[in-house]
Amino acid sequence: MNANLPNPFNITYPTAVQTSLHSQASFARFDPTGRFVAAGLPNGSARIWDLGTKSTVRWLDGHVKGVTSVDWSKHSRYVLTSSKDWNVIVWDIASDTDPPRRVTTVRFDAPVTSAAFHPRNSQILLVLLSIGEAYIVDLRKEHRGRFELFEPADDAMDAESSRHRAAMTVARFDPSGRHAFVGTSNGYVLVFNTRTKSLVARHKINGAGIMKGLDFAKGGRRLATNSSDRTLRQFNLPFYSSSQTTILESELEPTYRFTDPINKVAWHTMSYSPDGEWLAGGAADNAAHKIYVWDIVNEGQFAATLDGGREPLIHVHWHPNKPTIASTTNQGNILIWHCPTPERWGAFAGGFEEVDENVEYEEREDEFDIEDESVVLARQQATEDEPVDILSRTPQSSPTITRATLNGTDEDEDNHWASEEPDEDYAGWKMKVLMEDEEDA
Amino acid sequence: MDPLAGLDDSSTDDDNASQTTEDDPQVPQPQEPPQPPPPVAQSAPPPVAVPSNPRDRPHYELKHTMRGHTSSISAVKFSPDGTLLASCSNDRVVKIWSPFTGELIRNLNGHTKGLSDISWSTDSVYLASASDDHTVRIWDVESGLTTRTLKGHTSYVFCVNYNMTSNLLVSGGCDGDLRIWNAQKGKCMKTIHAHLDYVTAAHFNRDATLIVSCSLDGLIRIWNTTSGQCLKTLAEGHDAICQHVQFSPNSKYILSTAHDSAIRLWDYQTSRCLKTYQGHTNQKYCIAACFSVTGGKWIVSGSEDNRVYLWNLQSKEVVQVLEGHTDVVVAVATHPTQNMIASASMESDLTVRVWADRGPPAES
Repeated sequence: MNANLPNPFNITYPTAVQTSLHSQASFARFDPTGRFVAAGLPNGSARIWDLGTKSTVRWLDGHVKGVTSVDWSKHSRYVLTSSKDWNVIVWDIASDTDPPRRVTTVRFDAPVTSAAFHPRNSQILLVLLSIGEAYIVDLRKEHRGRFELFEPADDAMDAESSRHRAAMTVARFDPSGRHAFVGTSNGYVLVFNTRTKSLVARHKINGAGIMKGLDFAKGGRRLATNSSDRTLRQFNLPFYSSSQTTILESELEPTYRFTDPINKVAWHTMSYSPDGEWLAGGAADNAAHKIYVWDIVNEGQFAATLDGGREPLIHVHWHPNKPTIASTTNQGNILIWHCPTPERWGAFAGGFEEVDENVEYEEREDEFDIEDESVVLARQQATEDEPVDILSRTPQSSPTITRATLNGTDEDEDNHWASEEPDEDYAGWKMKVLMEDEEDA
Repeated sequence: MDPLAGLDDSSTDDDNASQTTEDDPQVPQPQEPPQPPPPVAQSAPPPVAVPSNPRDRPHYELKHTMRGHTSSISAVKFSPDGTLLASCSNDRVVKIWSPFTGELIRNLNGHTKGLSDISWSTDSVYLASASDDHTVRIWDVESGLTTRTLKGHTSYVFCVNYNMTSNLLVSGGCDGDLRIWNAQKGKCMKTIHAHLDYVTAAHFNRDATLIVSCSLDGLIRIWNTTSGQCLKTLAEGHDAICQHVQFSPNSKYILSTAHDSAIRLWDYQTSRCLKTYQGHTNQKYCIAACFSVTGGKWIVSGSEDNRVYLWNLQSKEVVQVLEGHTDVVVAVATHPTQNMIASASMESDLTVRVWADRGPPAES
C-alpha cells in the first residue's frame, strides 16, 4: 500500500536482525497475511506471535509430544499443527478463547512428520507420516475419507517394484493445490492429482539421494528441492495436463544448483522470496547461524550470507510479502530479519528534499512574479476540482501469474472440486485481542 | 464522482437508491422485441435525469440531545458496531450512550483528571481514554471496569487511537511524544520524540504500517510504526497550525484541520493539498473533522460559531449546517453504518447531540 514511501532503496532481501523472539521453538512460519508467526515447540505446544506487538497472542496446547509442522489456511483463520504424538490438530484462531477452539483432531497410527492445508480449502489436508506414507485427508461431508498416496505397481518394472517401496520423505501441495508433490528416499519427486489421488508424474532427480524438502515459488512454476547430497536445486516444472491418462515419467534437469563449495554444508530448509526472485537457504552448520541468499533472476548468482550469530540455524521461512525472514536457532529463538532503512533527517523538515549530489538550482520562469492573490486562489481552486477517492483501496498487488491463468482456466474441475463445501476462512475475520491478567503485565 | 456523469449511466446510482426508489418501479425490459436491438439501446434504463439537488444534499435533523457532562466535552465516538456512543469530558468521566434512544447507559469513572480523547477497539469491547492525569486507560465497556492503565507519558495525554486490528494503541502527549502501546499487555513498545509542542492528534493507517501525527508546532508528520522513523513532514501554510489529522478510510489521503479555518485533504505521497474546505470558523480550539461515507460523501466538522458544517467531499461546497448547540462544537463523529452524526459542545452548552438523516423532503 505504501511501498514507495517507506522503502526508498531497492534491496529486496533482508540484511539485519530486527528482533529475536524467545520462544523455545524448533521452527517458525509466517502466516499468509504476514501479521503472525506460528512457532512449533518440541514440548508439544505451538504459539502464535503477533509481529505488530512482538508478543504471543495464542498458545496452541494440544499435543503431548513435539510439534513437527504448522500450516496456515489461506486467510490465516485456521492453524494446523502436526506432532510426533500421532495427531494432527486444526485450530480456529478466530474463536475468542486461548487456547483456541479445536476444529478437529485427526489421529494416525504413526508419528506425523508434516501436514499441510490445501491452499483452497482448509478441510483437505496432506499428511506425511514418519513411516514414509502420505495421505490426503478430506474432512468434507461429501468427500470424507483418508486416501493413501502410492505409486501404482508398474508391470514394466516389476523387478524393481517388487523390492521394498521407497519411503516418502517430504510432501507438499503446489500453490494451486491441484497437485501434491511427494519426495522419496530414493531421489524421486512424485506428483499426484489431489482430486483423483492418482499419480500424474514421476521425476527422477539424478544424484539427489534422499529428498529432504520442497518449496514452490508463488506462481507454482518453479520448485526448489533440498536433498541429502547437500545441494539445493531449482526446477522449472512441466505442465501436468488434467486429462492425461499416462504417467509422465521424466528426469528433471535442474535450472540451478546451489551448494556451498567450501564448507560443503548441508541445508536444513530453503524458502523463496514472495516475488520468487531470491532463494534463501538455511545452512546446517552446527557452529554458526548462516542464511545464504541467491539471486534467481541473475542466473542464480550467490548474493549474500546473512550471519545471525552463534546459535546454529535450524529453520528458515520468508515473509509472504515483505523482505523479511524468520530464522529459528537451535536454542529456540526466532530471529526476524528485515531491511533496515537509514534515518532520513530531511524527512523532519516540511517541503525539504534531500539530494545526493549538488544540483544547480534552476529558477522557474514565474517563480518571483508578483501575482494577484485572487488569481492564485482561482488557480488553486481549479486544481482542487479533481475528484478524490477516499474509499476504494488499491488491491493487494499480487502480480504472480499462476499456472491456471496462463492456461486461461481458473475454474477447472480440480479447483471446482476443491472449492466444494468451502470453509469459513474469509478475508475479513478478526482475531480478538484477549487482555491478559493485570498481574503479569 | 462527477455529478454530471449520471446522465448516461445507471451504474453509479446504487448507494443513493434508497432515496429514489419510490418513483421508478417501471421495468423497461418487456418493450424489447425479439429482433436484435442495436447495442446503443442498452443505456436507456435509468429514468429521466433524477433531479440531482435533493439527493446531493444531506438532510440531517436533530434526534437526541443528551445532557449529563458537567464540564467541556472533548470527544465523541461511535462504537465500530454502531450500537453505542461514547463521550468524554473535562469532568473526568467517559459516558456511554445509546445513539438510538439517547439514554445514558454507563459512566466510566477512574481518571483523576480531565479527559481529552477516546478510541474504540474494532470489536467494540474496549475503549481507550486519554487523560490529563498522564495515563491512558483501557476500559471494558460492558463491565465499566478499567482493564489496563497505561503509564509512561510525562505530561497530559491529548490523543489516543487504536489500530485496525486493535493490538496497538498510539497516544500523543503534551510533552511532544508519541507512544505506541501493546494494547493486550498494556506496555509501551516505543516512544517517539515526535514534536516540539502538544501532539494534538495521532492516527494509524489501515494496515498500521504508518502513523500520522500533528502538533501545535504546526507540522504534520508521518511515521513508520515498526521502526519509529519519520518518513515525511508536511507543513501547512504560514499561520495555519494544524490541530487534528487522520487518514482517509482507504489510507490514501490525510485530512487535517487547521487554525486558519480550513480543513485540507492531502495526498501525503506527493505532499500536495487536494481539497480545501472552508466556511466554518476555527481559530482557537482543537476541532476534529471526520469523513461521512454511509450515504453521500461528506466532510463533517464542528465550528466556533456553534454549528456543525457538512461539505461535499468533491465539490467542497457547504451542503448543510446543523444549528442547535449554544457553544463551540469541538467534537463530531459519524456512525459507521447509518446516516447519523454525533456532535458535542463546550462549557456553556455541555450537550451531546445526535443528528440523523431523514432523506430528502417528501416532495420531489
